[in-house]
Amino acid sequence: MKRMTTLAGAVLLTAALVTLTGCVETAGTSVTTDHMAGTSLVLEDSTRLRDQLQVLKVNYDEVNGLKRVHITLQSARHRRLRLNYRIAWFDINGMEIDPATKTYRNLILEGRDTVTVTGVANSPACVTSKLRVRDLEAAD
Amino acid sequence: MKQTLWMMTGVAVAALWLTGCASTPRVREVELDRAPITSKLEPQDVRRTVEKMAESLLSAPGVREAVGGTRPVLDVEPLKNRTTQHVDMVSITDSLRMQLLRSGMFRFVDKSTSGTDIEFMDAQANLGLTDPKKAIRPGQQSAAQMYLTGALSEIKTQVGRTVDQYYKFSMTLKDLRSGELVWADEQEIRKESVKPRVGF
Repeated sequence: MKRMTTLAGAVLLTAALVTLTGCVETAGTSVTTDHMAGTSLVLEDSTRLRDQLQVLKVNYDEVNGLKRVHITLQSARHRRLRLNYRIAWFDINGMEIDPATKTYRNLILEGRDTVTVTGVANSPACVTSKLRVRDLEAAD
Repeated sequence: MKQTLWMMTGVAVAALWLTGCASTPRVREVELDRAPITSKLEPQDVRRTVEKMAESLLSAPGVREAVGGTRPVLDVEPLKNRTTQHVDMVSITDSLRMQLLRSGMFRFVDKSTSGTDIEFMDAQANLGLTDPKKAIRPGQQSAAQMYLTGALSEIKTQVGRTVDQYYKFSMTLKDLRSGELVWADEQEIRKESVKPRVGF
């Protein structure tokens, strides 16, 4: 009887582990920059990514009449990090401009390395940028 | 006897499970920038390239100098495909034109639709359906001052079961009057795929 209980417990534990590992966390880190007010808000929604990646610096400027943002990221790990990032742009009313044209790009960060990602608005109407970083596994 | 019966039932269930799954394909929508599934050029690679090229062109200091407050007329030539794959280069050009158009920095003409323009003008002038005063006559269209051109090339290396595929998109913006290259950039993509040990 005791053996049967142990076996059932092992089966349940295996099933739970399989279910849990099958779930991929798609939440990540986001950096919202208001280019008019000059403020930035960093949100770290994934505890896993928060331990791996830090937002060091946010800079912004204007080039050819279009807003541009530079965000410096640093790896907190010693191994290579494979991530995805996307920079979306919003107008003064908070509406996202051309969401389909802003893609998730690949980012390979070496251990403890720092990298600056840059995004340029595709319209003069863009005033707010939002960087979203996610784990590579979050992609379909 | 009972054991054999159980075994046969098990085999039948397994066979049904294996064959039953394959009869109807499972379809679901996936995100546009999905993870790569082959080492070939995929839609997400093209989308990233178009975005990168548009951003690079719009933020280049040389382009600002050449544009100089005016909105020059630009034509986008289809990119040349120097790879062994079939890639719809016109679609890439269309996407790039669309992104540049939204920036408001350029005005555009499209040489590829000139034949249709002539057909319309011809019909307006000769069919007698259009008010002759309102009919558009040839010889009034804007002239392209700059044009965008480029190419896609590839290098494929195979070692054992590993296939290494390298793609390079290169684009240039040329001033038609001066013949000078105003802007140039390239986007490189490198992918690796490993074939399984067993399989067809």
